[in-house]
Amino acid sequence: MSAAELVERGRRAFNEGRREEARRCWGEALALDPGNEQVRAYLLNLAAVPAPSATLPRPGAPVPLPGPAQGEAEPRRPRSERAEASAPVPLPAPERDWLRSPVTLPPTGSPLHAEGSLAAAPSAPSSDPFAPPPPERDTLSDYAPSPWGQGPTEPPPVVLAEGGGLDLSSVDEQSGIRPLVPQGGPARGPSGVPGGPNEIEVWMQGARELFALGDFSGSLELIERILKLQPGHAEAREYLQQNESTLIAMYESKLGPPGAIPRLAIQPEEVMWLNLDHRAGFLLAQIDGTVNYEDLFALSGLPRLDTARILAALLQQGVIS
Amino acid sequence: MSSGQGPVIGIDLGTTNSVVAAVIDGVPRVIPSRSGQLLTPSVVAVAKNGKRLVGQIAKRQAITNAENTVYAAKRLIGRRWGSREVEDARKALPFQLVPGPESNDVRVQMGERVFTVPELSGLVLAELRADAEAFFGCPVERAVVTVPAYFNDGQRQATKDAGRIAGLEVMRIINEPTSAALAYGFGRTIEKKVVVFDLGGGTFDVSILDIGKSVYDVVGVGGDTYLGGEDFDRKVMDWLTFAFAQENGGVDLRADVMALQRIKDAAEKAKCELSAAPVANIHLPFLLGGGEGRPALHLERQLPREQLEELTHELVARCIAVTERTLRDAGVRPAQVGEVILVGGMTRMPLVQRAVKEHFGREPSRGVHPDEVVALGAAIQAHALAHPHQGATEVLLLDVTPQHLGIMLVGGYFQTIIPRNTTVPTSATHIFTTSLDGQTSVRIAVMQGASEKANENELLGEFVLAGIRPAPRGQVEIEVIFEISADGIVGVSARDLSTGQRQSITVTATSGLTEDELKRIMDENLDELLEKKQSSGELERRREATERLVAEIEALVPAVTTSLARSRFGKDAVVKAEAVVQRARAALQARDVAQLAALDEQLERTLQLFRGLSGGVAGQEGR
Repeated sequence: MSAAELVERGRRAFNEGRREEARRCWGEALALDPGNEQVRAYLLNLAAVPAPSATLPRPGAPVPLPGPAQGEAEPRRPRSERAEASAPVPLPAPERDWLRSPVTLPPTGSPLHAEGSLAAAPSAPSSDPFAPPPPERDTLSDYAPSPWGQGPTEPPPVVLAEGGGLDLSSVDEQSGIRPLVPQGGPARGPSGVPGGPNEIEVWMQGARELFALGDFSGSLELIERILKLQPGHAEAREYLQQNESTLIAMYESKLGPPGAIPRLAIQPEEVMWLNLDHRAGFLLAQIDGTVNYEDLFALSGLPRLDTARILAALLQQGVIS
Repeated sequence: MSSGQGPVIGIDLGTTNSVVAAVIDGVPRVIPSRSGQLLTPSVVAVAKNGKRLVGQIAKRQAITNAENTVYAAKRLIGRRWGSREVEDARKALPFQLVPGPESNDVRVQMGERVFTVPELSGLVLAELRADAEAFFGCPVERAVVTVPAYFNDGQRQATKDAGRIAGLEVMRIINEPTSAALAYGFGRTIEKKVVVFDLGGGTFDVSILDIGKSVYDVVGVGGDTYLGGEDFDRKVMDWLTFAFAQENGGVDLRADVMALQRIKDAAEKAKCELSAAPVANIHLPFLLGGGEGRPALHLERQLPREQLEELTHELVARCIAVTERTLRDAGVRPAQVGEVILVGGMTRMPLVQRAVKEHFGREPSRGVHPDEVVALGAAIQAHALAHPHQGATEVLLLDVTPQHLGIMLVGGYFQTIIPRNTTVPTSATHIFTTSLDGQTSVRIAVMQGASEKANENELLGEFVLAGIRPAPRGQVEIEVIFEISADGIVGVSARDLSTGQRQSITVTATSGLTEDELKRIMDENLDELLEKKQSSGELERRREATERLVAEIEALVPAVTTSLARSRFGKDAVVKAEAVVQRARAALQARDVAQLAALDEQLERTLQLFRGLSGGVAGQEGR
């Protein structure tokens, strides 16, 4: 299934109240298309919105799609219908905006969370997923503490059998990693300021949340930001390793056996019409039907994660097979 | 192949590319690599992910990982640290050269490890050996290896050591031009002067052979160790980067290693194409990042053959000049040359062929494959050595001393005893006298080289003749005898003619590696080989275990599906189990031991779960 189909399936599931399925679909879509900010925004908002029982007054009631999507096509439903269906959920800006200013998410219990208040809050993010992103906030004082501080609202991943049973987490299967942090646990303050909502702690908390949600790329981005400021941040380093190994395992599982030889699946003259960067161009130039994936990792000169990500994307786009 | 000792191979260990061949059913043939290529780049690398790469893969990351990629190790093999050749190499090569700990040889730093040069060449030879073993399906342990005719004894010994490191018994080292002529003369009688014009990837060698009645006599050698196909590539690369800069506001591609690697590959490919086609199209999409969010830049260019010839005519002229000088040194006029054998991929270039034709006044031979001919000759020689009593005609190879051999005289001068181009085996005698009154001992320094100054030549060994009769200077006669065996071993003896006091030395060429070091490296290689064999056993064990688990799981799927038909979790479990099984199958196909090991526990847990669930079904059904 393509990333777009997974996104759509996730949206349908979300609208029908199947949050777990929505999250899984979007998580898979993000794994296929890590640069898809729309999916990231959905996942981010999924973490921020109240638990399903709170947002779903009755089974089957329409629930708004979380988060806006930039540049997306016109919705199928008329605007009026959307307005009716909208529930009062906080809608985050696209992730990159959130990354710039982590406090743009409205807090739980703010006026934006009051039922029916959405239309009355012109500066608030629109419930319309296709609306432009909300304006960025400049000061911390505009909002209460980040909702990330409250910990995840979702239950831990389903495990069929305790101790020796089948672990259903596909991530676990792929990488052998174990859950890092007990979900819902208290946030640790890397800066040493107990409970202080400083930027690094907010990022760290965001990274934990995204990791728990399966958005390893998003988590990795935050971790890298933290490590840029605090290279010795122990927890961030741990998350860095876990995120990277998980992502590598995910991408590599899409590629297939390391000894498999990828081949160009399009005509060479069609390559020119793709939308690639020069690193993808370099890797694509090495794929000549004689080099296997493991050799591509060796000769790319790029970090393994980047190589795996690019190759998985090329495979996903049908450029290679 | 019927000797009972396994197949024997001939190896052309080139500066840029290497080739392995064997005589199969009486016909010399090149053995393709496991990936189907006939040429194996003589490149060794340690990739950024720590993986050791040899051959084509190593070459393809030579620019992006320049400091950890070694090419042209042949220029360094058997050389001494501080020699002119090594100093030249240090200026030209991007990887780091370091001196050896004691023996003053040159070594290469790659990553955390220091490699000896024979070790690096040994890795290339080991790759070729593995290709041959894959081809024959049995172990290959003996080989004839070729070297340039000008290689000195140290370099030849270093090449032999490289063979030992690769697990090969080097039956004989033969000169490349001799080998080429051997392949050229295979199955026919030739009696004429032959010039071997060898323009390879990194070096140019020209040799003159006098062939008569199966005797291949190298009568002259010359060349340029820094002139080859890579210089032609560089001209094309410069042309491309200049054109790209003109079209893109002065952007210099050379600043980006990925772009440069692609430019290099494209330049080489275009150059090869132009040997057969009048125009080469160069398409390099997404070559360079556009910067600041702009799209990546492409390079699209046509290179006509005339343009290539204009760019490289100066290089071809250099080859002809070297050829002219070599002929002059050997006292051979172009008109006396009965055949010109072209060797090396670059000789396919029409401009080169035209230049050769113009110089010699005759068409060069087209009967031999320029890339393969040297390896084929080595294979013929290997076959002849391995099967002397099975009807194979032993070809008599007469090689010559590549450089003058002599001793150091008072004042630091070099006295030649055996001049270069002397056919071996040979011996020569020279009488010297003492230089001091009452002198009772004399130092004999055995040297090899072309310079009149002793310190510019290579010291092969030295000894002291003591117990000389004390007498005024010039009155004691010392006889110095040089002997060179067919294997190239130099024996030097000195004798006081009046007392009969005698001292001698056998100059055993040294590669720079001590015997202990060589053994250590060979032990390491053996360990690696054992590891490979062990991992092969491990793979079989894992394969059996995985196949058993997969079969058991699949057998239980219907029962589990029935058991959990109404459970959402149950369905999910089956789907997940299928995913695990699929990954296991992929790992089996890829022979990935690590992945099989990683999946083992998951398969085991899945099986346990399925047994429990299917037991439930049985229980329910039983009720």
